[in-house]
Amino acid sequence: MTPRILVVDDDPALSEMIGIVLRSDGFEPAFCGDGAAALAAFHSEAPDLVLLDLMLPGLDGIEVCRLIRAESGIPIIMLTAKSDTTDIVRGLESGADDYVVKPFNPKELVARIRTRLRPASEASVDALAVGDLTLDVAAHEVRRGDTIINLTPLEFELLLALASKPQQVFTREMLLEQVWGYHYKADTRLVNVHVQRLRAKVEHDPDNPRIVSTVRGVGYRAGATA
Amino acid sequence: MPRLAWRTWPGWLLGLWRKSLEFRTIAITVILSGIAVTVIGVSISVSIGTNVYDQRRQQIEVESERATVLAQNIFDSATSTGTGNQIELDSLQNQAQSTILSATSSPGGTSIAILRTPGQTTAQTIQDIASPDFPTAALSSELRKATASNSSKLHFQPVSLATNAGTQAGLAVGSTLQVPTAGQYELYLVYNLSDAQKTLAFMEQTLAIGSIALVLLIAVITYIVVRLVVGPVRVAAETSQKIAAGQLDERIPETGSDVIATLGRSFNGMADVMQVQIEQLADLSRMQQRFVSDVSHELRTPLTTIRLAGDLLYDHRADFDASSGRTVELLHTQVDRFELLLADLLEISRFDAGAVELETEPVNVVRLVEDGVIEFEPLADEAGSTMQVDARGGFFEAELDPRRVRRILRNLLGNAIEHGEGNPIDVVVDSDAHAVAIGVQDHGIGMRAEDAGRVFDRFWRADPSRRRTIGGTGLGLSISLEDALLHGGRLDVWSEAGVGTRFVVTLPRVRGGALTSRPVPIEPPDAEGESE
Repeated sequence: MTPRILVVDDDPALSEMIGIVLRSDGFEPAFCGDGAAALAAFHSEAPDLVLLDLMLPGLDGIEVCRLIRAESGIPIIMLTAKSDTTDIVRGLESGADDYVVKPFNPKELVARIRTRLRPASEASVDALAVGDLTLDVAAHEVRRGDTIINLTPLEFELLLALASKPQQVFTREMLLEQVWGYHYKADTRLVNVHVQRLRAKVEHDPDNPRIVSTVRGVGYRAGATA
Repeated sequence: MPRLAWRTWPGWLLGLWRKSLEFRTIAITVILSGIAVTVIGVSISVSIGTNVYDQRRQQIEVESERATVLAQNIFDSATSTGTGNQIELDSLQNQAQSTILSATSSPGGTSIAILRTPGQTTAQTIQDIASPDFPTAALSSELRKATASNSSKLHFQPVSLATNAGTQAGLAVGSTLQVPTAGQYELYLVYNLSDAQKTLAFMEQTLAIGSIALVLLIAVITYIVVRLVVGPVRVAAETSQKIAAGQLDERIPETGSDVIATLGRSFNGMADVMQVQIEQLADLSRMQQRFVSDVSHELRTPLTTIRLAGDLLYDHRADFDASSGRTVELLHTQVDRFELLLADLLEISRFDAGAVELETEPVNVVRLVEDGVIEFEPLADEAGSTMQVDARGGFFEAELDPRRVRRILRNLLGNAIEHGEGNPIDVVVDSDAHAVAIGVQDHGIGMRAEDAGRVFDRFWRADPSRRRTIGGTGLGLSISLEDALLHGGRLDVWSEAGVGTRFVVTLPRVRGGALTSRPVPIEPPDAEGESE
């Protein structure tokens, strides 16, 4: 089945061009040119991934991102014309999994999309434990006792990557490669922001993390620092 | 108080004089009014003193004259009786003395002496007599001479009298008496003026106390007046400081219509104008940033479409005929170049608008440099250059913005490869307690010194005829310099035509740290040897 991709961008030429690129790479695009109509389009199209422009008429892209994220964990990739820090961080904090800065090339865009749509990495075990959490790898579920904690696929993958090697310290670059599929230097803020989002969901006290702990100057690792 | 404290007084007073307008004003007022009061006081006391003395002297003159006349009368009346023996003369003398004493009424007491004028021979003489406390020594010879030679008038001499209560002022009056058969005698009356002196002293004391009180009162009044005037000035000073510190809404309260209120109003008017101007400038700066952001968005969206279209065509260039294929290739490379140029232009505008922020994190500079060199290895190979990294320091985590440092390094490496003429490129990393530095040196064509000074200028090229190989935008070094400055660091260049060019970026190890040293020298260590 061809993955459906919802392109939310107000520029018709760019939308059409992205559509051509997506079709030639085997995706099925759907379009929405207005921020206010984006959520309705999301409902009606039921896409597998959303490409979301940050500057939209009607409703701001960040707001759209927040609305979609409130009801679904599906991958969202921001298209941003601004490489300014604050906008990217705001976008990531509102729930976007990744971002592509305009002007991007087709390969870059397709690579980002494929990474987010690839099947979850094959874990050797069915279940993992981190602190008081249980990861059901097959079901893509995280439980604390009997309570299911809702994680987006990206957050689940991030936690899984850390939990599968509980003693290893992961640098931000390692996580970027393993979870985001970047094989070259990329923006480490992606990792920082998503670790914060993950902690907000899984930690008892996000200010004093026990599940995903920071190793100063190096990166992160699963479990409390000894 | 410590004994040496007085030594510090002059300095302290001088400091107060310089610092405090109040102190200065009060000091000047007190000194000037003190001088005025002293002059007035002295002249008052002198004129009163003279007046009192003159009055007393007139009184004494009248008394002395009367006493002289009375005494003379006594002697004359005795002479008229005809007798002239010695005993009678003596009794006459006693009679004259008591008459004189009763005729004078000086509160301080009067002493009297009747002395024979020396140098006469007469039939009879009477003894010199004097009151017991008569100060014979106080009479000067001049007075005696004057009295003896001119008998028609009174002669005066101020004298000082030694009494139990100390030396007191007195006045001696000399006149002559003609004693029948006994010749000329001099009558001296010495008046004690201590009562007048006491009055004068009391008056002077009162005057002095009054003057001091007056000066003190003037000082207090000056202080109050100065406070009234200086107070608003001080408020103005404080307000202008607050405005300078950025509190643009700060104003001076305007009350009344005096000169101080005028000052306040003009000050506030100036502040209003300045506030408007500053807010306009701030608006302009915000508009500029907004403009940059808008241009960024507006240009990048169509460029993305062009980019996507170009790349799609480029991927299918094998399907086109030769000239169309080449066209697609040109489109592809020029879109790349356009994109780089746009990115650099936007970055420069961001620096110009002050819309840049340093995002520091712990960065291992050696690792960063090694990664950068690996990234540029294909380009260097293409140009025939080898890159040698000499890492002497910088193995720790410095607080840097890795994105910007990486960008500086890329610019320097790209530059070195482009101008290195295929010769080896040396990369040095070193650090000290405060700074970390990266040096990139090529051994290529180099530049003349005057050209080296312009390398950081925008769109400047050392040799306009030179072909672009790496396709730099002409903004790379300008941006690198801004990046280094944003860290509080430096980017320096050394170059010599035919020898090579060396760039050294020096950055503080911690954010906000000051640069005091250079771990990597700007001049290459082998510069002297090669230039010969």
